[in-house]
Amino acid sequence: MSVAELKERHMAATETVNALRERLKQKRLLLLDTDGLSWELRSMNLAVATYARSQGKTPLTFGPTDLVCCRNLQGHTGKFRGGLLGMLTYEVYSLDWTAEKNRIVSASQDGRLIVWNALTSQKTHAIKLPCAWVMTCAFSPSGLSVACGGLDSVCSIFNLNSPTDKDGNSPVARMLSGHKGYVSSCQYVPDEDTHLITSSGDQTCVLWDITTGLRTSVFGGEFQSGHTADVLSVSINGSNSRMFVSGSCDTTARLWDTRVASRAVRTFHGHEGDVNSVKFFPDGNRFGTGSDDGTCRLFDIRTGHQLQVYQQQHGDNDAPHVTSIAFSISGRLLFAGYSNGDCYVWDTLLAKMVLDLGSLQNSHGGRISCLGLSSDGSALCTGSWDTTLKIWAFGGHRRVI
Amino acid sequence: MPSGRANVGDGGVQYSFAMEYHGPPITRDLPRAVPINVDRIPVAAVVSQGSLSDKLALPVVQPILASDITNKFSKELGLGLGSECLVSPTSVIAYERQIGDDDSVSKELLLGLGTETTVSPNSGPSNHDCRLSGELSCLGTLEMNPDGRYGSGDFSDVINSSTELGASTTSHDLSKELLAGVGSSGTLGFSDSFDKSRDLLGSPSDFGVSNTCKESLDINDLSQPDWASTESALSFDYPSSRVSSLQVGDCISEPACDERGNLVVTFRDIESEDGDLTEGLNGAEPEITGLKKEFEVRAKKGTCYRCFKGNRFTEKEVCIVCDAKYCSNCVLRAMGSMPEGRKCVACIGSPIDESKRGNLGKCSRMLKRLLNDLEVRHIMKAEKFCSMNQLPSEYVCVNGKPLCHEELHLLQSCPNPPKKLKPGNYWYDKVSGLWGKEGEKPSKIISPHLNVGGPIKTDASNGNTQVFINGREITKVELRMLQLAGVQCAGNPHFWVNEDGSYQEEGQKNTKGYIWGKAGTKLVCAVLSLPVPSKSTYSCGEQVNNMVSRSLPDYLEQATLQKLLLIGLSGSGTSTMFKQAKILYKDVPFTEDERENIKLLIQGNVYGYLGILLEGRERFEDESLNERMNYNCSRSQTAKLFYTMQQFVSEFTFWFKAGHADENDEKTIYSICPRLKAFSDWLLKIMVSGTLEAVFPAATREYAPLVEELWDNAAIQATYDRRKELEMLPNIASYFLERAVDILRPDYIPSNVDILYAEGITSSNGLACVDFTFPQPASDDVDSADQHDSLLRFQLIRVQARGFGENCKWLEMFEDVRIVIFCVSLSDYDQFAVDGDGTLENKMILSRKFFESIVTHPTYDQLDFLLVLNKFDLFEEKIEQVPLTQCEWFDDFHPLMSRHRSSNSNSNSINNSPSLSQLAFHYVAVKFKRLFSSLTARKLYVSLVKGLEPDSVDEALKYAREILKWDEESANFSLSEYSMYSTEASSFSH
Repeated sequence: MSVAELKERHMAATETVNALRERLKQKRLLLLDTDGLSWELRSMNLAVATYARSQGKTPLTFGPTDLVCCRNLQGHTGKFRGGLLGMLTYEVYSLDWTAEKNRIVSASQDGRLIVWNALTSQKTHAIKLPCAWVMTCAFSPSGLSVACGGLDSVCSIFNLNSPTDKDGNSPVARMLSGHKGYVSSCQYVPDEDTHLITSSGDQTCVLWDITTGLRTSVFGGEFQSGHTADVLSVSINGSNSRMFVSGSCDTTARLWDTRVASRAVRTFHGHEGDVNSVKFFPDGNRFGTGSDDGTCRLFDIRTGHQLQVYQQQHGDNDAPHVTSIAFSISGRLLFAGYSNGDCYVWDTLLAKMVLDLGSLQNSHGGRISCLGLSSDGSALCTGSWDTTLKIWAFGGHRRVI
Repeated sequence: MPSGRANVGDGGVQYSFAMEYHGPPITRDLPRAVPINVDRIPVAAVVSQGSLSDKLALPVVQPILASDITNKFSKELGLGLGSECLVSPTSVIAYERQIGDDDSVSKELLLGLGTETTVSPNSGPSNHDCRLSGELSCLGTLEMNPDGRYGSGDFSDVINSSTELGASTTSHDLSKELLAGVGSSGTLGFSDSFDKSRDLLGSPSDFGVSNTCKESLDINDLSQPDWASTESALSFDYPSSRVSSLQVGDCISEPACDERGNLVVTFRDIESEDGDLTEGLNGAEPEITGLKKEFEVRAKKGTCYRCFKGNRFTEKEVCIVCDAKYCSNCVLRAMGSMPEGRKCVACIGSPIDESKRGNLGKCSRMLKRLLNDLEVRHIMKAEKFCSMNQLPSEYVCVNGKPLCHEELHLLQSCPNPPKKLKPGNYWYDKVSGLWGKEGEKPSKIISPHLNVGGPIKTDASNGNTQVFINGREITKVELRMLQLAGVQCAGNPHFWVNEDGSYQEEGQKNTKGYIWGKAGTKLVCAVLSLPVPSKSTYSCGEQVNNMVSRSLPDYLEQATLQKLLLIGLSGSGTSTMFKQAKILYKDVPFTEDERENIKLLIQGNVYGYLGILLEGRERFEDESLNERMNYNCSRSQTAKLFYTMQQFVSEFTFWFKAGHADENDEKTIYSICPRLKAFSDWLLKIMVSGTLEAVFPAATREYAPLVEELWDNAAIQATYDRRKELEMLPNIASYFLERAVDILRPDYIPSNVDILYAEGITSSNGLACVDFTFPQPASDDVDSADQHDSLLRFQLIRVQARGFGENCKWLEMFEDVRIVIFCVSLSDYDQFAVDGDGTLENKMILSRKFFESIVTHPTYDQLDFLLVLNKFDLFEEKIEQVPLTQCEWFDDFHPLMSRHRSSNSNSNSINNSPSLSQLAFHYVAVKFKRLFSSLTARKLYVSLVKGLEPDSVDEALKYAREILKWDEESANFSLSEYSMYSTEASSFSH
């Protein structure tokens, strides 16, 4: 068989695959009634909302004082841009809370991981990274080590207790290398300091064994059973740590079982843009997504259906991207950070925006790049491209919800 | 008068709106609160403390139902406040109206509180209608709300939360400010701050002291002062002093304002963590002075500025901006995380007090005790090196000209810098290096020939001796020194003094002597406190030029690093460019470790190439055997007919030569002996299983001799001769295969060229970067401009596009690059690759798509692009065989080449007739330029590169530097001049 013939066959096969994929998509849309934002979908959303009302759920009301910024963490300083006298700024790209609730690790483009005491806003550690282009960071469940990953395609683990060398740099405790693309997100498996799941620009997610530094399983990649574009985010089910969900540039989110690496348990369609952020609902049966199409969605992992869409009406095509999401401890609230610096608080049940942190005083001056809730749910930390992290807390009579 | 509308929803959300004040100017005094007597401030009695501890551990205070505190607190508060109604009549009236219908306790309470509050005179009779004047309200509300909160404690039955009260009395945006102001005080929210206040009030004495509640208190740090003020009688003067001092700051923007009218923002200054309101009101500088003043007011007490405890002997830390002093309990809260060193949170972002410059980076014992080593180090480093704390260059005037940033840096980084440079006016004698304060004698001899400041003035040191040194009239002391040093000063001579002390009279050639030559002169200088040149001054000439090697301060390191992003599809030669840059500009391009890794990589590659060869060999063997079989068949048929002895003999000899007679049928020139065959089979098996990387090059030592044998084998050589037919074998393989025997030795060390040629050295890792400076041209004498250049350091960041997906999510991480160098391999025009959708696409078209997506990426808006058309050497060969029109994008390429060539007999005309490849290159460049300008309406710079030739890469990178330089300069020149530059630029671009 000649090369030309092979090429031809390959082309034909690819076309068939694409056609089939298209048909599958059509069919799925038909089944799900999620044709864009069709009236069925809207009614479905309404149905959830109506049901909630009938159950006596009243809309949440949030005054501008119910969430207040109580800490401003500054410390990522000094990125040079433009001209000798240009502005110096470093974007904060990622943050994570410890389980014991008062420490935060943040990663910024100054090539540093900073561990903060959220209460005193003191830095307890500043770790200089070998590669400045860091995209994600995570605290281990025990709070003893932090992981980070970025454009160097390596996930590095730092032990916070290890002595620093004479320049004050912490040595890398473990390098998890094997990804062929950037590491976009990492999360420790709950209650295990030795396992970590990363997502990468090479279209795969990987479960790592940190003690050996080897890949336990690779999700997706070679065979077309996984994501077909960069994976941007992972979230592990809090109640069943074998399940995790990933969001990707292929506009889908996929649910995986760590025991079955070969194929995704379920694929969730619906978004019209890159899925930037996924986060499990506290009950573990649902998860939320945030996407470049400006919407957040809530999916049910058991039925595979989309439950809610959280969308603010904007003009054509200028909806700000959702960069990061987080659920409150009860799941009633969804915090979503947007690329225009807004940070909405959504009522997950009624799909109603109850508060915009971006409109409050002391709000961020740049894109919200990451946000996270402390483990007890009492405080929200947002990181922004304006180089600062801010901690927001429920004020006054407002109960933690 | 002021208009604000309050709007209280029934059960839902409350919003309020502020309207701008449009009325006539205010003629009378605004209502004011009279500074109150210390004892009159509401004090909360101590609430039992035990209940607090568990709450304090939380980052957020859990909401507490208001009711459980109200009773207890309201009484105490009421009592504390009750006595206060006599204090300020105006506000009392205002408040009386406001709360007319509330119960008496709360009335009294509010009356008391009213003393601190600004209420406009015409505030309506009801709470909801309370109006605040526009300007004042922004301050007034701040004041009011906290008080309102006290009130709300009492009314919490009547009005369900204090927010309502706050919201109703506050205009919308003001309330926001308020929120942040007060709100930033904590997780302890605000609407219900009463609860909180109870917490705080409840633990008055422990407030600053107790370590157990430290954490939760920290959250509150900002609002603490005002809570603190309520906690002890000692601090009672605080609000009033606060008020009066605040007004200093605020009145700057509004000098006409009456003192009392402004007594509003209670904790503004401490609270404004980011200071935006204050900064918005006054400029940054007045604010500082205001703050300073303010603190001075209280400084006389010698107490901590926060907790008002201690005396002047208590150990305290000082803010390097406003001189506020804090005791060890308060310092961490007052200064927060100290991102710029020891500054109160309100002072972050403000330039430091110059008198404290000497203390920068000198850590106190107190801080060392409070923080751990690392933290202290970080803070001190931040304090010393953060750009905000640097000496502002415009404060330093040299020869009457304020310095710019670069000049200051030059001055400070010269080998012999002026010590402890403070803001002020200086004179500087560039020839001799003499340096002094304006109007004074020289104080120091610094490095000469620094290009800072203006030309020296005759009266720079205010001398009156009529003797001149380098155009400066010297002072009497200097003249005395000169006389003592034996210099003839009769007749008011004008001297010309060089940096080494040699002097001559102006207009004369011969040196008359050395001023500092005699040992005695130095002694005289010391007596007259005149400077003598330090030893290093002499050699400074060379040192200035070696500035590159000097380690730069941290903050400048950042500022002078220019990032170049090198990007392109895989196979476009970015890796070669990157390696080339490393070899060109680094003293040690590859470390030992790197070389070791590269060696393993190359060896692995060579095994891969060998495998491909062996595979080819099997194919060729099969093919030739088949041929032979066919030939044999046909021969045996014909043999019967045309058999001759001669033919038989010749046939036989051929077969005999080819090998053993027994295996005649099996042997071709592509056959190898069984031992090698076994090795070959094994290698191929490994390749198929894809574990080549795992086995090799670890097994190199074992197999190296075998490889040597294999390579020398005729069959392999025969296959190698037909390597053009092996599609898998990359072009570069022949370079390595021909030296395979050498390379596969265990002691092989790859040369730079080997590394350059090797595949996959940087691709394993998606991103690589190298910092470099362009070496100084040795021949040229370095003028100041070049000197500045040499400070510029570059960082070449090479990104592998393959691992990074076509969505380019990662592009926004490189928003600080100065220029994007986009690599396109010219020889790609007839090659195909699989794109994201799985369809086969011309690689040139893929490059174009990638180019489009990057050029139009919002992150790179207004960024310069340099297109590098790479692999021109390959292109030159290929274009002769494969027409450029192979790629559909280039289908209108119709060079007039052939006609040109034939008609153009005079080949050495001025413009050497361009070759076909040259024409094709220009054509491609224009294609890209048009595409670029259609997408961005800007100019694309293009450079032609042969990645394997160092000079070519060097040229391209220097071209990138030039582009950056034009960019910078164009900002400094007017538009017309810019056009000149841009044409120059275009002449450079091909």
